[in-house]
Amino acid sequence: MKFFPGCMIHNRYPGIEKSIYYVFSVLGIEISPLEGSSCCPAPSITKSVSEEMWREIAERNLNLSDETIMTACNGCFTTLLEVGSEIGKDVRHFAEFLYRDVGIEEIRKKVSKKLNLRLAAHYGCHFFRPAEKKGVDSAERPKILDELIKAIGAESVNYRTKNMCCGGGGGVRAAATEVARELLEMKLEGLKEAEVDAIVVICPLCLFQFDTGQKELEKEGKVFGIPAIHYAQLLAIAMGMDVDEVGFEAHEIVTQELYEKLLVGES
Amino acid sequence: MSLNSCIQCGTCIASCPSGRITALNTRRIIAEFISSGKKVEERDEIWFCVTCYACQERCPRGIEITDTLIEARRTLVRNKGLPGRLGYAFTFLMNHAALVPAREEHVELRRKLGLPIYHAQFDEKAKEEVRRIVEKHAGSVVR
Repeated sequence: MKFFPGCMIHNRYPGIEKSIYYVFSVLGIEISPLEGSSCCPAPSITKSVSEEMWREIAERNLNLSDETIMTACNGCFTTLLEVGSEIGKDVRHFAEFLYRDVGIEEIRKKVSKKLNLRLAAHYGCHFFRPAEKKGVDSAERPKILDELIKAIGAESVNYRTKNMCCGGGGGVRAAATEVARELLEMKLEGLKEAEVDAIVVICPLCLFQFDTGQKELEKEGKVFGIPAIHYAQLLAIAMGMDVDEVGFEAHEIVTQELYEKLLVGES
Repeated sequence: MSLNSCIQCGTCIASCPSGRITALNTRRIIAEFISSGKKVEERDEIWFCVTCYACQERCPRGIEITDTLIEARRTLVRNKGLPGRLGYAFTFLMNHAALVPAREEHVELRRKLGLPIYHAQFDEKAKEEVRRIVEKHAGSVVR
């Protein structure tokens, strides 16, 4: 299997990649980097300029290997899955692969440090919509990430804005930053009420929006202080990886409380 | 399914996060397309769409609303260029094979974590291949 990092993981959150290699080594599944791969490219904004460009760059990436291509980003998943299905390439998302191929029972068995946390699942729109093209989970009541969270001994807390977009997609962050920020604030208001230890994402763009976006909101005096973490990082820690190896250096918002809970595990 | 099959139920706008805080109103966009022929590509507010696909997923008539907005953006881009910081993003894609290129600090973190550096941004041949594709299809809109 080949790992496709995309820009956000290779160039912003490499800790996610490190965590994935760790998790796969524990599971005994072979995975290696897809060398020479570029931006996927990001589906909505690239298609907003040229669908041909979107398809051609994606095909170049897909043709770098004959093996199954694994991604941990909802944007890369969308592009590679859609174009891959046209040219007969097998493309998987880390989260649905864990749930469907590895299985919750097997994950549970490999967890050496249960993480007794209150976590908020955020799927990210492009993981499961449009459901017809994605075919991974329910369009209205997705459950994969909730189940994965429970598998590491944590609680997946329901919250008012659970099914809402993070506000970071579609080029809005770049085209109309204030709109992206306002949507994030709406999302965070619902999260705040739930009093969680962290938001769990399965997409580095959502992670970026939650993390950097909160830093931007802080400049306006709006402080939420809710850390965001990719499920791969969480699972790696639960499987015994050193907390200092998951690349928190790249995160703006990491609370001391979360860090200590991740360090100690269930007491 | 064509926009003309819309029954104006409003499920799309009720599902739209951006519609709650911006001028984006998918139901009205479709209504005015049907009643007066106003083209979707004449509306700047389609840049407020976060492409969450909630409207398209729920449309009882199966109208591909999100995809229609994305398609209309292509005409908007040809006529008016890219809004906000999006223009820079495609310059990055052309020059670095990445919409989000790495800076030295990011490369440093990869080294610290013991990870290889293998994105096309760091591979001259791969980067050139991507540059050619971007130039061919979007050379005129890249700043």
